[in-house]
Amino acid sequence: MTIPIVPKLLRSHLSDLAERDARIDGRGRWEGRKLEVEHSILPRAEGSARVRMGDTIVLAGVKFQIMTPYPDRPNQGGLMCSAEVRPVAGRNWESGPPSPESIELGRVVDRGIRESGCIDVDSLCIIPGEKAWQVILDLFAISDDGNLFDAFALAGIAALRNATVPAERFEVGEDYPLSVSKTPIMCSYHKVGGRFVFDATAREELGGDERIHITLGDDNNVHSLQKGLKGIFSAGEFTEIMDNAIERTKKLRKIVDEL
Amino acid sequence: MGGYGDVQMIDENGVRADGRGPGDIRPITIETGVVPVADGSCRMTWGTNEAIVAVYGPMEAHPRKIQRQDRAVLDVAYNMAPFSTTDRMRPGFNRRSREVSKVTQDALESVVLLELYPRSKIRVSIEIVSAEAGTRCVGLTAASVALADAGIPMTDLVVSVASGKINDVVVCDLNKEEDNYGEADLPMGIMPNSGELVFLQMDGDLSQDEFKQAWKYNMDAAQEIHKLMVEALNGGDSQ
Repeated sequence: MTIPIVPKLLRSHLSDLAERDARIDGRGRWEGRKLEVEHSILPRAEGSARVRMGDTIVLAGVKFQIMTPYPDRPNQGGLMCSAEVRPVAGRNWESGPPSPESIELGRVVDRGIRESGCIDVDSLCIIPGEKAWQVILDLFAISDDGNLFDAFALAGIAALRNATVPAERFEVGEDYPLSVSKTPIMCSYHKVGGRFVFDATAREELGGDERIHITLGDDNNVHSLQKGLKGIFSAGEFTEIMDNAIERTKKLRKIVDEL
Repeated sequence: MGGYGDVQMIDENGVRADGRGPGDIRPITIETGVVPVADGSCRMTWGTNEAIVAVYGPMEAHPRKIQRQDRAVLDVAYNMAPFSTTDRMRPGFNRRSREVSKVTQDALESVVLLELYPRSKIRVSIEIVSAEAGTRCVGLTAASVALADAGIPMTDLVVSVASGKINDVVVCDLNKEEDNYGEADLPMGIMPNSGELVFLQMDGDLSQDEFKQAWKYNMDAAQEIHKLMVEALNGGDSQ
């Protein structure tokens, strides 16, 4: 991704807004953009979802492959999660090998889902030591107006929770729904104008500083954390966003669970 | 083309497995403005194909060595998303997507008035998020709609459609099975107002008469699809 020149004017505008506890698009500090989540929208994927948050739009698709289990874990399948942000999604994204930004996106989402234990890797075993399912979650950005992290994480878990294991096509039995026992949810906070806000837009990201991503499980257990970009934050600031994430993830989890 | 004659895909009454007649195309929907951050965009579904195209520009062409003093450069990339196919598609360029990108770029350069924007770049990103058969046609057609949605001057839109041959019968707009087991495939890129061509490929085996029939099917289908494109651009399905 090419980082555009950050106009000083934008930064000072964001600081002025922050002093009045306002945001560039009129939202409150902890207010998310209008959210739409749809699932099973891609005919070729075994599970899929589309998430729209304001002008940010992403797709998630689940595919399955048969793998040979790793020798030290003969009874386990695998989960792979990758994110691609191609030039279609914004003028600053360029073609070529995956950028560090898109690799970070994929890995942070992957950790939240993997560490929550929502997919029982033992259940993915077909023949111990010989055959197991590899679940591949591909996250794909259509339009980047900021906070791809939350959009990807939400689309990812929504796609997994509505995925079907294509056993018939691989001639290893009948199709069955992928078992996903939990709903890990990520919430991201960006420091804009000196204070953290929820669900930043691209302009807030551009004129802001560091970001923090928190993934919480069903029981509010913490499954992944990531601090990105340059910036310093205090323990007090972190407590404040963690408290917000606990409330926010509950609401988002309800939306995903009721799909 | 495979040419497996033993797969029956059309009956003696000329009805195809999916119920279409020989000259019928699959259902099509076209929507503009689907990538809010882009200057122009289009989502086109065609059967179970789905393409999303975003256009950015005209914008600064960098690095400078790619700039042309007398015209804009077009940067067209066609790509299939990993979940767009039955077996997962590994991300990244491959020989097929490079070729499709090139012929699509050649087609679009033929209609876009590039000389109006010297030293600039217009980027066209074609993403196939669901593939059935004929994705290059969907991508090229949707790209011309997205360019028009971005307000880029063109001499005409481009409608791309393919005809082919299944069980020795010439048919229009092959679906997945027909494409896999058919005997020929003739994709064309047509300027609907003049009937001229900017894109042409073919593989398989067609007699001179079959070729003429396939050509005619494509020309007729282009007029039908053109109406849907104009409708979408006039706000029919756009957001």
